[in-house]
Amino acid sequence: MSVEIHALVGPYALDALDDVERAAFERHLRECEPCRLEADDLRETAARLADGAWSVPPPGLRDNVLAAIGNTRQVSAPATRSARPVRRMWVAAAAAVVVAAGAAGAGAWTIQDQRVRTAQATAAQEARVRTILTAPDVVLREETLDSGGRVTVASSRLQDAGVIMLSADGAPAAGRVYQTWTIRAGTPSSAGALGEGQSAAVQVIDGLPEANQVGVTVEAAPGATTPSAPLDALVELT
Amino acid sequence: MAEHGRRDHLRPVPASPENPEPDAGSLLKAVARGDEKAFGRLYDLVTPRVYGLIRRVLRDPAQAEEVAQEVLVEVWRTAARFDPERGSPTAWVFTIAHRRAVDRVRSEQAAADRTVRAGAASVDTPYDEVADEVAVRLERQQVRSCLDDLTELQRQAVTLAYYQGHTYPQVSRLLDVPLATVKTRMRDGLIRLRDCLVPA
Repeated sequence: MSVEIHALVGPYALDALDDVERAAFERHLRECEPCRLEADDLRETAARLADGAWSVPPPGLRDNVLAAIGNTRQVSAPATRSARPVRRMWVAAAAAVVVAAGAAGAGAWTIQDQRVRTAQATAAQEARVRTILTAPDVVLREETLDSGGRVTVASSRLQDAGVIMLSADGAPAAGRVYQTWTIRAGTPSSAGALGEGQSAAVQVIDGLPEANQVGVTVEAAPGATTPSAPLDALVELT
Repeated sequence: MAEHGRRDHLRPVPASPENPEPDAGSLLKAVARGDEKAFGRLYDLVTPRVYGLIRRVLRDPAQAEEVAQEVLVEVWRTAARFDPERGSPTAWVFTIAHRRAVDRVRSEQAAADRTVRAGAASVDTPYDEVADEVAVRLERQQVRSCLDDLTELQRQAVTLAYYQGHTYPQVSRLLDVPLATVKTRMRDGLIRLRDCLVPA
């Protein structure tokens, strides 16, 4: 299986995977340091192909970009230097942790690694996620999970929606599940719980820009009505 | 002093003139600290390739300009996230650019936009002209001769994916070769390219 997935390293370096396979492959890279080194190496080579596409930029572009950066706040360097060096370098890549939708009941979402692998994401949901992630005003924030892993939150006022992307290093202990929360004016409400044994998920949250924070907790399966302390991660949105 | 000759001998070797971007790394570091002047210099260094790459993938100049602006602002915004252990600064920038271009070209909504805008844009920028311009640039590039070093199948697999934004299953259909073969050719094509591009 590992050999089979690693055969995607060439297509990965060329951005020739669809979002579902890319997510599966990036999970593979997190588990395999030599594979990650090869992937970085081939990406470096692929980027040289940009040398072959030189073109004179439009005259107005420079002024537009310089004006735009004047209004764009920079993100700070990641605060913690994790022992695991795997860090997403490019925001667009954060966008790609994808995209399977839990069709399981109102507001509930359950997403399995295997499901991502078996490509059960629907095109509509993928498109919705992509629309949010590529919105011109999208803001991405990322925090590490105390239990290991990351949660990334993308939020767009123009879309009045956001995406929570959870990527834990592993599933919680038996009988325990990850659960996410949106917190508005100090009041948490559940955004959904993962199933037992699940460590990665993506969810679209309508109205997310109205929330102040996104929290992640580990709860007794199948999830709690209020978050229990301590939070596994807290992402400040405002 | 009699020893000045030896001191000369110990002078550091000046930066090689073949290396056109000796300080992209320090520029990006300064950008990460909010240095707008450094960003201007980085802009001048990378934008012809950022814009050219995006335009090559999207074909439509207007849309390419829009995506290029997003990418360059993204470089400003996330410069602190660049991790030199994972690759060069320019590769980091072009990876963001390529990814955005590919995401755009694959989105259905954008496909509709592109049809409309390409129609409008084709009045002053026929596609052939773009292709010619690209071809002329390519002549002078090392990457071109290295691409020529690949087998036909490797070259097509790599360029259909990278320059046109196709997924590997699409490439497989276009070339009428099995999926497994396409995956392998992309990988060994890149390895051969890498070995060719690395200076001797």
